[in-house]
Amino acid sequence: MEVLHYFGAAIGLGIIVVGAGLGIGRFAAAAADGIARQPEAADKITAAVNLPLFLLEGVAILAEVFVLLIVLMK
Amino acid sequence: MLGSSSGHEAQSVMEQVGDNIIHHVSNSDIHHPIFHLPHLFNIDMSVTKHVLMLWVVVVSIALFVILPVQQFIKKKTMIPSGLINLLEIVVTFVRDTIVKPNVGPKWVNNWSPLILTFLFFIFFANAIGMVPIFDLLGVVNRFVLHVPINDSHNFINGLLHGGPTATGNFNVTAALAMITFFSIIIAGVRAHGFIQHWKNLVPHGLPGFVYVILIPIEIIGMFVKPFALTMRLAANMTGGHIALLAILSFMAIFADMFHSVFAGIGVAIISVPMAAAISGLEIIVVIVQAYVFTLLSAVFIGMAINVHH
Repeated sequence: MEVLHYFGAAIGLGIIVVGAGLGIGRFAAAAADGIARQPEAADKITAAVNLPLFLLEGVAILAEVFVLLIVLMK
Repeated sequence: MLGSSSGHEAQSVMEQVGDNIIHHVSNSDIHHPIFHLPHLFNIDMSVTKHVLMLWVVVVSIALFVILPVQQFIKKKTMIPSGLINLLEIVVTFVRDTIVKPNVGPKWVNNWSPLILTFLFFIFFANAIGMVPIFDLLGVVNRFVLHVPINDSHNFINGLLHGGPTATGNFNVTAALAMITFFSIIIAGVRAHGFIQHWKNLVPHGLPGFVYVILIPIEIIGMFVKPFALTMRLAANMTGGHIALLAILSFMAIFADMFHSVFAGIGVAIISVPMAAAISGLEIIVVIVQAYVFTLLSAVFIGMAINVHH
């Protein structure tokens, strides 16, 4: 039973990757779609996508830090 | 990797690998500092690895940014050359695409210096973590200098302990985020006055029960913003190094698992190019994280100045 926290941390890490991957994938898909429809708006689309992308990345990184804390502090 | 891999015979290889990775990303031990300094207000002022790296960052910013700009201003020629060209591109990029759209044309010259300072400091601190000066020193120590591993008072051993990325330490990034936290308040107070800044936190003209929910949320949000900045930068810088070292550690793990040197060499054929590729990715992360921190600081300062409601 004393290794159960590793199990939880591994599952948590997997869920984080699934969530962040879905989020970033939707961003990239929407941005590519928008640029393909309107190539002259590429700069504006990139600028609009950047900020929520970094916020999403921040949430994923936070979750990963807490997973690391579970492993290190038991 | 060379510094601490011997001398722990009692542990298994798996335990050694974990300790080794943590040892290479965390700060060095305060009880074996690089320079001994006296206690001040009950705080041990001794210089550890990350403090030394902060000094290195300060010196390199002075050499590569401040001194060339000072000399350029003294020369009184308006034509930039060499390093100044690069600096000018960076400065105008930050001013025109990060600060101006977020903070607004009225306050852009007030907040550009702070945002630029963030950018240069974080970029240099991140980038110095990717330069393998101390790994090289470890190799020289192993084959030329032969400083014993258990001599914890030796200067070179002190240099070898701890990770070189100062921004991978949560205390450093927390200090940077504190500056952002107070900048947000100062920006709001200067633009709208002290009372009006705090009133601007919530939109007005809503029914009373909404404020009961909204005011605590906005107050929490005020602290979550710098907290997220802290965690994002430190975790990104630590995470990249952990991934790099974990992939390199596969060599030791596999060699131990199959009791054969050749298993380790076989894994090395895959893991060394992979580590090189992740180092390339890390160089992008170094630039992007410096950009993200400055962009988000500018956005938060701009949110306090240009209130939407």
